Amino acid sequence: MTSTSRVGDPVRAATKRPARTRSGRGPRAGEGRWVLLFLAPALIGLAVLSAGPILATFGISLTKWDMLTAPQFVGLDNYARLLGDDRFLKALRNTVFYTVVSVPVGLTLALGLALALNQQIRGIAWIRTAYFLPLVTSATAIALVWLWIYSPTGPLNDILAALGIPRQRWVADPTLAMPSIIAMSIWQGLPANVIIFLAGLQAIPAEYYDAASVDGAGRQKRLRNITLPLLTPSLFFTGVLALIGAFQVFDQVYVMANPGKPGEATITLVYFIYEAGFRNFKMGYAGAASWIMFLIVAVATIVYFRTQDRWVHYQ
Amino acid sequence: MTVRSVKLGVGGHAPPRSARKIARRTGLYLALVAGGLAMMIPFFWMLTTSLKTRAEVFSTAPLSFPTGLHWENYAKMWFALPGVTFGTFFQNSIVIASLATLGQLITCSMAAYAFAVFEFRGKRVLFALILATLIIPFQIVLVPNFILYRYLPFPLSESGNWIGTNLPLWVWAFFGGAFGTFLLRQFFLTIPSELADAARVDGANPWQIFRKVYVPLAMPALATLAIFQFMWSWNDLLDPLIYLRDLPTYTTTVGLAFFQGQFVGKWPEMMAGALVSLLPMVILFLVAQKYFVRGITLSGLKG
Repeated sequence: MTSTSRVGDPVRAATKRPARTRSGRGPRAGEGRWVLLFLAPALIGLAVLSAGPILATFGISLTKWDMLTAPQFVGLDNYARLLGDDRFLKALRNTVFYTVVSVPVGLTLALGLALALNQQIRGIAWIRTAYFLPLVTSATAIALVWLWIYSPTGPLNDILAALGIPRQRWVADPTLAMPSIIAMSIWQGLPANVIIFLAGLQAIPAEYYDAASVDGAGRQKRLRNITLPLLTPSLFFTGVLALIGAFQVFDQVYVMANPGKPGEATITLVYFIYEAGFRNFKMGYAGAASWIMFLIVAVATIVYFRTQDRWVHYQ
Repeated sequence: MTVRSVKLGVGGHAPPRSARKIARRTGLYLALVAGGLAMMIPFFWMLTTSLKTRAEVFSTAPLSFPTGLHWENYAKMWFALPGVTFGTFFQNSIVIASLATLGQLITCSMAAYAFAVFEFRGKRVLFALILATLIIPFQIVLVPNFILYRYLPFPLSESGNWIGTNLPLWVWAFFGGAFGTFLLRQFFLTIPSELADAARVDGANPWQIFRKVYVPLAMPALATLAIFQFMWSWNDLLDPLIYLRDLPTYTTTVGLAFFQGQFVGKWPEMMAGALVSLLPMVILFLVAQKYFVRGITLSGLKG
């Protein structure tokens, strides 16, 4: 890949080939094998690593399989058992709760931040850097710090104590555990959404604002009638990603909720799949849980896309 | 911006307006700096806690500065686990992330080139199919992929298959990927086809056009993809957790999570470990900020 021969240099080859063959666009004879050559790795990947496995997961979900003995066909038994499994239902509830809270709150905060950061002021580059730092750091390391922040003698409890509020157990408290993890995730997820909103804001033509100013529209009015409507495509886009990302929450939960035995309070769908498949080697059960998760995300995404016409303004 | 302020100035009451503007600007600065601090404080705590003694962590206020700089916490963290150092985890992470990045750069750019320059039957459907994998939660393929790797032979491993080796963590990258293909295709589409036409007239074949015209011109997009894939691989926890079995094969994330399970309450060492593990990514971010911003804008990033 590194050292290529000079023979193929198109500029040098120019003089050798007087024959002016085809030019312009459109399919050309003999291109088929080139297409195949360029696409081969991606095609194999699509078939063997994504599309195929999605179907395979469904097949496996119809079996009972510990990977040691031969798989046993059990029909929809795994699905029926999952719907009666308290741990799975708890994981489902937790994941939905996580999504329903973290997505709207996270996006609203990000939108506000982006509006504030979208300013031509000195030093903005430095401030932006500070905001974006959590983005590049692993959720594992971040979760460790937050574990410390939430610890009994940690900063958060110190602040509470200083204010005369009793210390809380946060991630160790069944009711506060999930909100604590959500708060951390919102904090970490903020920068990515802010960057997308900033890009959206900068794509709004300045002429719109100028025209609105001439018409006497104030700051509030410009925000409501120009900025927000024109930002809806970005909002829609980040919404999809946040929704799908929220359903996949795992790292934070794994680290924060005492690895090995996260209490029921914080178990999520992906944690459940991980536990069933790769700790207990119930492949069929894990496969069925994956398919239920897949269906929920698919339905949620489709419903979300359906709402598009009602509130997204494409310019 | 300038046009607007000139027009506003015509109104006649310029002084109060600019005074209000200054006040508003000051308030904005304060809010932005406060927000910036809120984003930075966890990192600050990570640093101060990593430099305290364990006794200090519990006896003094967490918000305080350490009394002395206990760098030995870093040494303790580095050598805390039996038989391996944190350096081993670093090395493993670097190998995996580099190979995954290399694979994505090669195969995504190839696929992107095919989608950008060729016309062929089923092109739209295929591209849509690849894009669709972007919005499918990848956990759906965890089980079959695990089974696949379980049956792929690898004589050098203890299990005789790919489980327990780092192969499942980077070999996939040599088989394309939705994010990279999309990102690079968008970029390739902006390259004028006249360049390719000229090269073709000169007798270059599609591979030569790809290597000599498209790849060199797409360096900024390739850099974006490289940085993102490296970061994703570096920060990934679930896959290494599933496939890696022995301590010496762990990546920094798994090492850190394992560390946390083993050393409950040893906050200074744990914070030192967390800080060291994220240092490479922070440096990469500071060096290549603009590529990060471009990549996120295009893709969204996970989470």
